[in-house]
Amino acid sequence: MSDTNKKTVISVKDLYKIYRVGESKVRALNGVSFTIEKGEFCAIVGTSGSGKSTLLNMLAGLEKPTKGEIVIVGEHMETKNENQLVKFRREHIGFIFQSFNLLASMNAIENVAMPLTFQGMAKEKRIKKAEEVLELVGLSKHKKHKPTQMSGGQQQRVGIARALVVQPEIIFADEPTGNLDSRTSAEVMALIKKIIREKNQTLVMVTHDDHLASFADRIFRISDGKIISIENGTRE
Amino acid sequence: MKFRDMLRMSGSSLWKRKVRTILTVLGVVIGTASIVVMISLGLGLKRASMSEIEQYGGLTTITVSEQGSYYGGYDDSETEIQASTEHLSDDVVETIRGIEHVEDVYPVLDTEALALSGGYQSYISLRGVSAEKMKDLGIKLGQGEFPEPNAGQLQAVYGNMVIGEFHNEKTGQGYWYNGEMAEVDLMADTIMYVFDMDAYYNFLWGNTAEDGTSAPMPKKRIVKTAGVIEGSVEDYNSNSYYVFCDIDELKRVLKKEFKNKIIPGQPTTAGGKAYKEIFYTAIMVEVDDMNYVQQVQSEINALGYQASSNAEWVQSMQGQYNYIQLALGGIGAVSLIVAAIGIANTMMMSIYERTKEIGIMKVLGCDMRNIQGLFLLEAGYIGFIGGVIGLGLSYGLSAIINLVVKNLNLGMNMAVGISYIPLWLALVSLVFAVFVGMAAGFFPSLRAMQLSPLAAIRNE
Ligand SMILES: Nc1ncnc2c1ncn2[C@@H]1O[C@H](COP(=O)(O)OP(=O)(O)O)[C@@H](O)[C@H]1O
Ligand SMILES: [Mg+2]
Repeated sequence: MSDTNKKTVISVKDLYKIYRVGESKVRALNGVSFTIEKGEFCAIVGTSGSGKSTLLNMLAGLEKPTKGEIVIVGEHMETKNENQLVKFRREHIGFIFQSFNLLASMNAIENVAMPLTFQGMAKEKRIKKAEEVLELVGLSKHKKHKPTQMSGGQQQRVGIARALVVQPEIIFADEPTGNLDSRTSAEVMALIKKIIREKNQTLVMVTHDDHLASFADRIFRISDGKIISIENGTRE
Repeated sequence: MKFRDMLRMSGSSLWKRKVRTILTVLGVVIGTASIVVMISLGLGLKRASMSEIEQYGGLTTITVSEQGSYYGGYDDSETEIQASTEHLSDDVVETIRGIEHVEDVYPVLDTEALALSGGYQSYISLRGVSAEKMKDLGIKLGQGEFPEPNAGQLQAVYGNMVIGEFHNEKTGQGYWYNGEMAEVDLMADTIMYVFDMDAYYNFLWGNTAEDGTSAPMPKKRIVKTAGVIEGSVEDYNSNSYYVFCDIDELKRVLKKEFKNKIIPGQPTTAGGKAYKEIFYTAIMVEVDDMNYVQQVQSEINALGYQASSNAEWVQSMQGQYNYIQLALGGIGAVSLIVAAIGIANTMMMSIYERTKEIGIMKVLGCDMRNIQGLFLLEAGYIGFIGGVIGLGLSYGLSAIINLVVKNLNLGMNMAVGISYIPLWLALVSLVFAVFVGMAAGFFPSLRAMQLSPLAAIRNE
């Protein structure tokens, strides 16, 4: 923290999320505070139902907190309306889904180029960018493939390329390897880590797998909506 | 997001669901075609009847008369100011001739006289128009000919109902009195006119003239018959009660007969004296195009005269046809409403199916307005494609209807066809189809816009 070069990109203070289910309340997040620096790779681990996804969704502005403060690259997320949140994601955030969530009717290139379309980028330019990123994830031979014509690992690499193509400051990933076998998972993890290291991007990843979490710089262990420990990663 | 990309995206998502799209489009095709064909029938009817009226030339004629000649009760001071300027003289004819879009102007002079023939008599309404104009008034002769211009004497053309007015001086026997036709042959018998009827009755009843002497018998003038308008004594038309004669001859005769006395039907000075000049009863104005009739009419009104035409009648008739069109269009609109419900249904289904896709787009930063736009465009596409095909179908149906009606030969003026699709109707119906599509897609698109991005996260 004494290092002046370090820049805080995510800062969370006293975050609560309480769901009402009939009469009872579910405290999905029960007072969470932490900061994440630029270029950091953080993993959020915990058992199923501990509140990991809830936390990530609120960081990405997909859900409103019940209480608390989320500041990302200097902007308060909790005060934004939905339109502003969409715009914020378009400009600052990449998202990698557990179930890849590629559009079935589009081929790899079109899927990767989609966020650029939302930015209003011209067609030739965004196709060129998408090709570059696909190459980066090692899929230059599968540009024209539809999602159904690719393996899970390949699909997730397209998903990663789609998150990277807008060159976001922060990438959120919710169980990005949850639908992959363990060998492919390790490969994909290594790929993600390599790329974000090169570009000095910040990655926040949710996982229930301690082994995958060990790829991270820091590991936030969460239980019943509370952070119970923050550890440093074990590998370099 | 670029508009072109939005068009591409919504187009391709319609293409993905071809069968459903085609079925939805089919509804719009039927809706558009039924509206267009219905309205085209209304337009065709209107056009046919307008062209029929136009053949009578009645659409472009304005009748100018003096202010207050039909409606009295004007403020005295106003009447006096107007009285000096408003009588219909040759100057007025020339002034009106100078108005833009006026093609032809001619005066009409009405007066009264007593016609006498072999013990029969009748009051007649004499209408002086220039001899050349008589034919233009739509007069058709049953017997004789029109008077030649500059004949040097008064020649009369009798309306076909005038003969019924003649009655026996003593018994009153006459067609309108007791059904017995007067024994007068308008073409062959000698007919004499008395113009100064006051003097005639003063003489008959032995009254004294103003200067104390006994009233003299006014001159009886033999008036030659040039022709009689066709039709029986019972066939009414706008000319059948009049006796027509050349206006210049009539003026000459009236001047001679009355000298400085007041001619019946003529205005008087404020002091109740006769004018030197003979003023016209009306001035007929021919306008070059029906669309300018009201304009010319209001210009003439601004000059201080009373101008009337068929324009208002034609307008109200056009209004009636507009109602017919509205009714026909309304019938057609029902099927388009059904089509709109189909579009809304298709869009709703599509949105339910694509909840996840919309969520993904939102997570990846697609603007909410763009999401709404994508769905509006899809609905608009359906409307547009349906509109184009429906319009093509309408042209085909219209051609078939015209062909069938032509072969049926209904006796109407069907040279132009009963179904008529003008360019504006084609364009309006296209725009309308797109509009209906988008309107039907509006609420579904709002719903799409408001879907939660979390739908993308949840694993199915
Ligand atoms: N929309 C919701 N309504 C009610 N309860 C919810 C909702 N989303 C999550 N929860 C509850 O919040 C808790 C945390 O959920 P989640 O963050 O998805 O857990 P994790 O991702 O760690 O498995 C769980 O108990 C879950 O049942
Ligand atoms: Mg989860």
